[in-house]
Amino acid sequence: MARPSQWETLLASAGRYAVSYGILIVLGAVFMLPLLWMLSVSVQDAEGVFAQPFQWVPEHPRWENFRDAVTVFPFGRYLANTAIITAAVVLFTLLSSSLVAYGFSRMRFHGRDLLFAICLSTMMLPGQVTMIPLYVAYARLGWIDTWYPLIVPALFGSPFYIFLLRQFFLTIPREYDEAALLDGAGKLRIYWSIILPLARPALATVALFSFVGTWNDFFGPLIYINTPEKATLTLGLQMLKAQIVGTGTVQWHILMAASLLVMVPNVIVFFLAQKHFIRGLQMGGLRG
Amino acid sequence: MNPRTRTSRTMTLLRRDAAGYAFIAPWLLGFLLLTAGPMAVSVYLSGTSWTMLSSPFPVGLSNYSAILSDDPLFVTSLLNTLYYVAFAVPLGLLISLSLALLLHQRVKGIGVFRTLFFLPSITNLVAISMLWLWIFNPEYGLLNGILSLAGIRGPLWLQSEAWAKPSLILMSLWGVGGTMMVFLAALQGIPEELYEAANLDGAGRFRRFLHITLPMISPAMLFNLTMGIIGSFQVFTQAYVMTGTAQPGSEGGPNNATLFVVLYLYKKAFQEFRMGYASALAWILFALILAVTLLQLRMAKRWVHYEAGEQ
Amino acid sequence: MKLAAMVCIGAVLLASGCGNNGRQAPGTVVYNCPANAAEVAVLQKEIPVFAETSGVTITLHPFTGQEKLYAMMAAGKAPDIFYTSGVMRDQLASEGRLLDLRQVSGGDPFVGRLWPHSIQSGTSPDGGWYSVGNWEFTCGVYYRKDLFDAAGIRHPDTAWTWDDCVAAARALTVRPDSSQPPSRYGIFIGSHFVEALEIMNGSRFPSNGLTLTVPETSLEVYRAYLSLMDEELMPDVRRVQAMGMQAPQLLQTGRVAMLVEAVPHQTLIETLSVPWGVAPLPRFKGKAPAYFRSSSGGLSVSSSTADPRATWKALVWIISGTSIYQPNPVLRDVDFTSGWERRYPSLAGSGFREVWDLSLKHNGGDPRFFVRFSSWTSGPILEKLQPLLDRLWSRELSVEELNASVHGINAGVRSQLEETLRHRTLQPAFRSHLEQALKELNEPPSH
Repeated sequence: MARPSQWETLLASAGRYAVSYGILIVLGAVFMLPLLWMLSVSVQDAEGVFAQPFQWVPEHPRWENFRDAVTVFPFGRYLANTAIITAAVVLFTLLSSSLVAYGFSRMRFHGRDLLFAICLSTMMLPGQVTMIPLYVAYARLGWIDTWYPLIVPALFGSPFYIFLLRQFFLTIPREYDEAALLDGAGKLRIYWSIILPLARPALATVALFSFVGTWNDFFGPLIYINTPEKATLTLGLQMLKAQIVGTGTVQWHILMAASLLVMVPNVIVFFLAQKHFIRGLQMGGLRG
Repeated sequence: MNPRTRTSRTMTLLRRDAAGYAFIAPWLLGFLLLTAGPMAVSVYLSGTSWTMLSSPFPVGLSNYSAILSDDPLFVTSLLNTLYYVAFAVPLGLLISLSLALLLHQRVKGIGVFRTLFFLPSITNLVAISMLWLWIFNPEYGLLNGILSLAGIRGPLWLQSEAWAKPSLILMSLWGVGGTMMVFLAALQGIPEELYEAANLDGAGRFRRFLHITLPMISPAMLFNLTMGIIGSFQVFTQAYVMTGTAQPGSEGGPNNATLFVVLYLYKKAFQEFRMGYASALAWILFALILAVTLLQLRMAKRWVHYEAGEQ
Repeated sequence: MKLAAMVCIGAVLLASGCGNNGRQAPGTVVYNCPANAAEVAVLQKEIPVFAETSGVTITLHPFTGQEKLYAMMAAGKAPDIFYTSGVMRDQLASEGRLLDLRQVSGGDPFVGRLWPHSIQSGTSPDGGWYSVGNWEFTCGVYYRKDLFDAAGIRHPDTAWTWDDCVAAARALTVRPDSSQPPSRYGIFIGSHFVEALEIMNGSRFPSNGLTLTVPETSLEVYRAYLSLMDEELMPDVRRVQAMGMQAPQLLQTGRVAMLVEAVPHQTLIETLSVPWGVAPLPRFKGKAPAYFRSSSGGLSVSSSTADPRATWKALVWIISGTSIYQPNPVLRDVDFTSGWERRYPSLAGSGFREVWDLSLKHNGGDPRFFVRFSSWTSGPILEKLQPLLDRLWSRELSVEELNASVHGINAGVRSQLEETLRHRTLQPAFRSHLEQALKELNEPPSH
């Protein structure tokens, strides 16, 4: 039974944030609507997608769709593959991108700005034209049909995350660095013990993006993986879109069910990363 | 200057440089091994005629001159792309910032709302495409369904020359979850004390926003703006998957309304076997993006504030 | 903390090595099959059985899309068997990337099992046989028997004409209120089937044509098609042809009473729960019928395949041995219609058999724009033609204006051919074919 004072406080809070809630709910509904559609389709049968009028709540929800989604292609194996690749990429990305971002933001050296511009500019060339030379290079290394082309680039950092972390590192006051220098700490130690903890929201963002990006990456696995045993979940999802002539129909309901299942780890990771978005990081201690 | 001082100063500088290079070594190494090579090859290919199936045939600069002087479809694709960038980037920033501000409150259940707004950007692309094809469907779609409730006969959306690009822009706005998260992370980094001090000075909400919030998140704003521009110039996947009819090779929308530069170069490369021409297109786009980004970064010096504590 | 990080990194590196046995067992044939879960599952069951009886092991690389295929070719690691469309085939063959199947098929009775037109559609201008079709289909008019009965109209038969069709559409269009669009349209014909009507009206197009020709008989068809929309017997094609639309829904819900679609169309057959039939495309008075029939590409063999004979055996098995494509319409000794009638009882008496047999008897080929032209000119032609067609169907362009643009389109084709000859390394037979074609383009024919 709730204590009366707690209840009163709750009511007061609700009242205070009524306007915010109102806007959030309306906007949330707009953003949610398409996903509710996905959820609705995922429990219908094959024709439900195109029924007119569209039935938001089907009479007999087909929960078997989720079981089918897991059995149509080797879901478990693809899940494991995707998990391993994603874990490796996220870990390597966090380490290497933060290291490089620290260099670009905290250190001064000749050619720093030029190199940073080059770093940025590598994102400006559409991948379609470098794809084949890169593929040929990997083929010469014997890395085709392995996971190396998917994981090794993460060891070198990615311009997107380097740029992001650099921006965040630049907002951290130099006083922290200077205080640590006075204490005799080396650059590496400052990076590890001071900057990284202070940049938690940024690192959480990078981890989140990197996780989602790798988990949902379609083009990389498509190009570099040949044998089905090594495939990832997104490749599996593609296999639910049938080919054109006479050999099958697209099973949209199973595809939506499978897509929802594939989304689940991303949502979990999001919730975990969210912890780092709660304000209240104690910046005190070194101040004053 | 005393020669010994000059040497020791050089040594310090060298040591400083070495330390810096040590930190950026991962990226530098990766660039030299993985990126620079293919980029150099594609520069070379842009001066050739290459079908991907046999050796490239050097043609000098004729690809470039053809693109710039004799290719009406290139002009179309460029205009389409500029239109898209001009609308998608500012609108995207506006909406993601507004959402981030809304979500930056210590309100019960805010985590749920944050998830809701972020969910679209973690959904699988195939599902998203199908979903939006349904939303935009002129006959049975959600949008026209809602409009008909208000008595309006909705347009043909993706099938309409006038509405195809706005449709894709609308779709991109739904996916601002990522940009929003960057703003959110930046908002979280603003020390509470600054607001308290401003309160004591009697500053109202709007002034606090203008003079504290905006400057403090300006590095994140620069990031989102830059990445938004770089990304929007290269818009491809949605246009490829969703515009065009059931006929292969018809991607690009009604009367090429959604033929963007990257889609155009993709078609040239993989449907017409003209990879050299496509490479030249890519490098022209590169030059354009680079110019716009550099211009934008130069102007950024005026409004971006780094290092908390500086007034 | 650091130790934990090291352990993590080590474990992850080890695990990433798991995906690393990229070596392919020797003596296997790599088949790039479509990335279709159902197909892959079936193939994986049947491949070991085939391996036992023939000694040929097939390895599956399921993927779709050309980028990967070309990347693999550029790296010298093309799959042994893969799908090629008509447009791709000549390009690949002209650069020596495809195996001429005549070299490995000599004496194999399988060749005799294929329809001659099947072999023909896989043959390139140099006479080489580079692809074997693995599917064929035609098109027809699916119609609602109950709606016809309710309106008191005779069901379509195999000899019905365009005028019969339009009359039926008029009778079947329901318009309760003249200010609103009809609640039911008589017919819907997708814009990519207009070309099928063109050949019914007598237009004839060479396969692998190098230039765009729009004869008067085709212009007549465009006008007739547009008038269907003008009279509102057919919905605006852009409204209804949006991607993601399932045509079957139109017929199922009675939004249209007649629908032109591929025959057989698995989704239509499986989902229609109303009384339906299918009729051949209507004929045009006084014109000899030529029914649409397409093979939509086929399977090709890479010229760099290690064991051509084994690959050929695998190819034959894929087309005629696996259960996926059976009954396969490319084989003349297979009773296709009976097989499908057994699988789908609703086909019996629907008109399916008649439509199918007619398409074999008066085979008009595949005149669709994206199939009609040769590899070298398909791109340049469609680049200019497609936007014009878009504007034609949305009434921003007149039929006459379209006709007037043909000349300009072909001028572009000419310059494209010249550039191809200048720059490409082409196999000699293809080069002389193109040179000949260019000469004919530049000089008017003498007779």
